[in-house]
Amino acid sequence: MISLIFFYIFAVLIVISAIFVVISKNIYYSALWLALTLFSVAGVFILLNAYFLAGIQVLIYIGAVVVLTIFVINLTKEIEGKKEKQHNKQVIPALLASLTGAVLIILAVLKTDWSSRIINWTAYDETAKLGNFLLADFVIPFEAASVLLLIALIGSIAIVSLDKENK
Amino acid sequence: MLTLMHFIILSVILFFIGIFGVLTRRNAIGILMSLELIFNAININMVAFSKFLTPQEIYGVIFTVFIITVAAAESVLGLAIILAIYRSGQKIFADEMNLMKW
Amino acid sequence: MEKILLSGFLLVVLPFLAFLIIVTFTKRFKMLSALISITAIFISFILSIIILVWQLKDPSSFLKYDIPWLYIGNLKMNIGIIINSLTAIMLLVVTTVSLLVQIYSISYMKGDEGFSKFFGFISLFSFSMLGIVISNNLLQLYIFWELVGLCSYLLIGFWYFKPEAADAGKKAFVVTRFGDFGFLIGILIISYLSGTFDILEIENFVKNGTLSDKMLLIVVILLFCGAIGKSGQFPLHVWLPDAMEGPTPVSALIHAATMVAAGVFMVARLFPIFSASPDAMLFIAYLGAFTALFSATIALTQDDIKRVLAYSTLSQLGYMMLALGSGGYVAGMFHLYTHAFFKALLFLCAGSVIHAIHSNNIWQMGGLHKKMPVTSITFFIAALAISGIYPLSGFFSKDEIFLSILYSGNKLLYYSAMFTAFLTAFYMFRLYFVTFSGKPKEEKNVHESPLVMTVPLIILALLSIFSGFIGIPDIKFSIHKFLFIEHLKEAHFDFKVALTSNIIALSGILLAYLIYGLKIINADNLKQKSGIIYNILKNKYYIDEFYMFLIKNIYYTSTEAIKWFDRHIVDGAVNLVAFLCRWTGGKLKLTITGRVQNYAMYIVLGVILIILAIYVYQPDVMNIVRR
Repeated sequence: MISLIFFYIFAVLIVISAIFVVISKNIYYSALWLALTLFSVAGVFILLNAYFLAGIQVLIYIGAVVVLTIFVINLTKEIEGKKEKQHNKQVIPALLASLTGAVLIILAVLKTDWSSRIINWTAYDETAKLGNFLLADFVIPFEAASVLLLIALIGSIAIVSLDKENK
Repeated sequence: MLTLMHFIILSVILFFIGIFGVLTRRNAIGILMSLELIFNAININMVAFSKFLTPQEIYGVIFTVFIITVAAAESVLGLAIILAIYRSGQKIFADEMNLMKW
Repeated sequence: MEKILLSGFLLVVLPFLAFLIIVTFTKRFKMLSALISITAIFISFILSIIILVWQLKDPSSFLKYDIPWLYIGNLKMNIGIIINSLTAIMLLVVTTVSLLVQIYSISYMKGDEGFSKFFGFISLFSFSMLGIVISNNLLQLYIFWELVGLCSYLLIGFWYFKPEAADAGKKAFVVTRFGDFGFLIGILIISYLSGTFDILEIENFVKNGTLSDKMLLIVVILLFCGAIGKSGQFPLHVWLPDAMEGPTPVSALIHAATMVAAGVFMVARLFPIFSASPDAMLFIAYLGAFTALFSATIALTQDDIKRVLAYSTLSQLGYMMLALGSGGYVAGMFHLYTHAFFKALLFLCAGSVIHAIHSNNIWQMGGLHKKMPVTSITFFIAALAISGIYPLSGFFSKDEIFLSILYSGNKLLYYSAMFTAFLTAFYMFRLYFVTFSGKPKEEKNVHESPLVMTVPLIILALLSIFSGFIGIPDIKFSIHKFLFIEHLKEAHFDFKVALTSNIIALSGILLAYLIYGLKIINADNLKQKSGIIYNILKNKYYIDEFYMFLIKNIYYTSTEAIKWFDRHIVDGAVNLVAFLCRWTGGKLKLTITGRVQNYAMYIVLGVILIILAIYVYQPDVMNIVRR
C-alpha cells in the first residue's frame, strides 16, 4: 500500500515535470524540469527494486546528460530565451496525435487482464548478479558499448573542433 | 496493489509527452531533451516487465543499462552537432533547417 | 573418328577466330589481316580435303556429334555437327572458292581503306557458310542461315558511302527476310510436330508417315521459302542483281558460288523431307524452271557485266532447283558443285576486267583479248563450261539435270530447260564477244592483272574443265556413288540427250558469234524490231517497279492507319500515364518540406493508423496476453 502511494507521488511528479519540459517557454527551465523528471524515474526504479539502475540513472542522466545539456544551452544562449517562439506550427495536430496514440494504447492496456502478474518480491543482490552478467555473458556487448562511448567521445570532439579549424 | 499496469500506463504517458515534444519543439536542444523523455519511458517499461514477468532474471535491467549508455552517447553527439551548427552561424531551430527540401 | 569430328569442328571455327583477331587486333595492319584470314581458310581447306578423303572410303557412312545447349521440357536444342558425303563435298566447294577468292582479293582490294575489314567480313562469312554446311539440326542451320544473310548485307554495303551500295545491302537483307520468315515458321512447325530439331530425326519422323499430306506440303513449302529468298527464286529474286554493288570478289564468293547456293544445299540436306511430298517437289521443279527461263531472258539485254552474270546465276540456281524438284538429288548437288567453280571464275574474270577498265558497262569494253589474254582465255573456258559444252564440267552436271528431268517424265520442263540452255549459251557468248573480241573502244592503258589475280583464275579454269569428270557414270570416285541416297533411281546416260544439249548450246554460241562477233546480223536492228519485248526484258519485267507500286500504294496506306493508332492511342496511353505521374508528383512534392519535424509527424500518424487498423480488424490481438 505504501508503495502505491509512493508510486502515485512519483508518477504525478514525472508527468507534470515532463509536461513542463515540453511546454516551457524557456529552454533553461526545460532542462531543470528534465532533471526533476529523471530524478522521479530513479524513484520509480527504486519501487521496482532496481537500486543499481536508480543509481546510474541519477549519476549518468542527471550528473552527465542534463549537466551537458545545460552547458550547451549556456554556450548558445545569446539567441535563445523568451524572445523566440519555442514551438512550431504543428502544435495542435501533434497534441491530437499524441493524445490519440496515448488513449489508444492505454485502452488496450486497460482491456488486458494483468491480475496474474503480481510482483513477487524476493530480495537478492542484484548489483552483484548484474556485474557477473556484464563481465561474463554480456561481455561482448559491454565492450561494444565501451567502444561506442569512445567513438561518441572522439566524434563529438571532431565535430566541434573541425568547425574551429574552418574559422 | 501495485501492478504492472500502473507502470505501463505511466510509461505510455511519458512516451507520448516525449513524442509531443519532439514534434513541436523548435529548439534542437529541446528536441534532444524530449528524446531523453522517450528513452526514460522505454526504460521504465523494460524494468517493469523484467521485474514482473521474470523476477529472477535481470535481462531487462541489463538492457536498460545499455539503453542508458547509448542514450548518453547519442545526446553527446547530438549536442556536438547542435554546437557545430550554432558555431557556423546558423540558428538551431529545427524548422529553419530545411536545406533538404525539393 | 574423333579426329574427323575434331577437324570438322576446327574447320568451322578457324575462320571465326580469324575474324575475331582481325576486328580486334590487326585492323591497322592490312597485309597481316589478309594473311591471317587466308591462313585460316587454307587450314580449313586442308581439313576439308582430309574429311573428303575419309568420306570417300565409305560414302554412305556419317558422323554426328551433339553438344547439349538448351533443354526445354521435351524439346532438346543441341549444337551439333554432321559429316556425311553431302557435307564433305560442300565443305570442299566452300573452302576452295573462299580460298581462291581471298587470294584474288589481296590484289583486287589493294589500296582500299576497308582492306582489313573486308577480310574480317569474308572470314565471318566463311565461318557462317561452313556452319550451315556442317549443322545437324534446323535451329543451328537457321542461326547460320541468318549469319550469312548478315555477312551478305555487310559485304554488299561494303562501300557504304555509295548510296546504291547501301540501298542494295538493305534490299538484300529485307527481301531475303521474307523468305527467312517462312523458313523459320516451317522450322517451328516441323519441330513442334516432331519434337526435335535434329534433321535425321525429323527425316525419320516424316518417313514414318504420321504427317498428313497437306500438313507436309505446307511445311515443305514454308521451308522452301527460305531457299526462295536465299537462292533468289522467282518472286524474291530482285535482290541478287542489285547485290552486284558489292566488291566483285564478294559477288564471286557469296552471290555466285556459295551463299546463294545455300538454298539449294538446304533443299538437298532436307531432301528426304522434301521428296516425301510429290506436290511440293513439282512446285519446286516448276518454280526452278520458271526462274531459270525468266532470268535467262533478262540476262539477254543487260549492259552491266556483273548484272548479266547475276541473272545467269539466278538462272543456274533455277536449274539446280529444277533438278532437285525432279528428284535429281545428285544432279542438283553436282551442278551446284561445278557451277561454284565456273561461276566464281566468271565473276573473278569480270572483276579482273573491271579492275582494268574501271567500268561495268560492256559497251565500253571490247578487244580486250590481246591485252588481257589470261582473263580472256579463262573467261572463254568458263563460258563454255556454263553453256554445257563437252567435255567441260558444265556439260556433265547439266546433262545430269536433263536426264533427271527426262526421267521424271515432264516434257514441258524438259523443253523449257533445253531452251534455257540455248539462251544461256547465247548471252554468255554475247558477253564474251562484246567484251573480248573486236576492236578496243578506247586507248586506255589497259593491261593484264597481276599474278595474284591470274593464278586463282587459272586454278578455277582448271577446275572448271576437270571437275566434271567425277560425273562419268562408272568410274571409281563417281559422284553417283558418293552422293548415294536410298530409294533414288538413277538416270542413265543417254547419248541423244547429250548430243541435243550440245547442239543447242553450240547454236546459241553460233548465234552470238554471228551477231556480236562477226556482226553479220545487226544488233540494233534486232533491238528495234523486237521493240516492246526488248523493253520489257531490259526493264527486268518491271518487277521492281511492281514491288514499288505495291509498297507505295497498298503498304503505305495501311501503315497510315497504324501510324494514327500508334500516335494517338498507344502514345496517348503512355503520355497519360506520364502525365498522371507528373501531376501526382507535383502534388506530393508539397509534403516534402525539408522540415524534419513534419516527417516525424508523418511517422507518428502512420503508427497511429496502424494501431487503429489493428483495433478495427483484429480486436483479439489486444487480448493475447490474457490467455
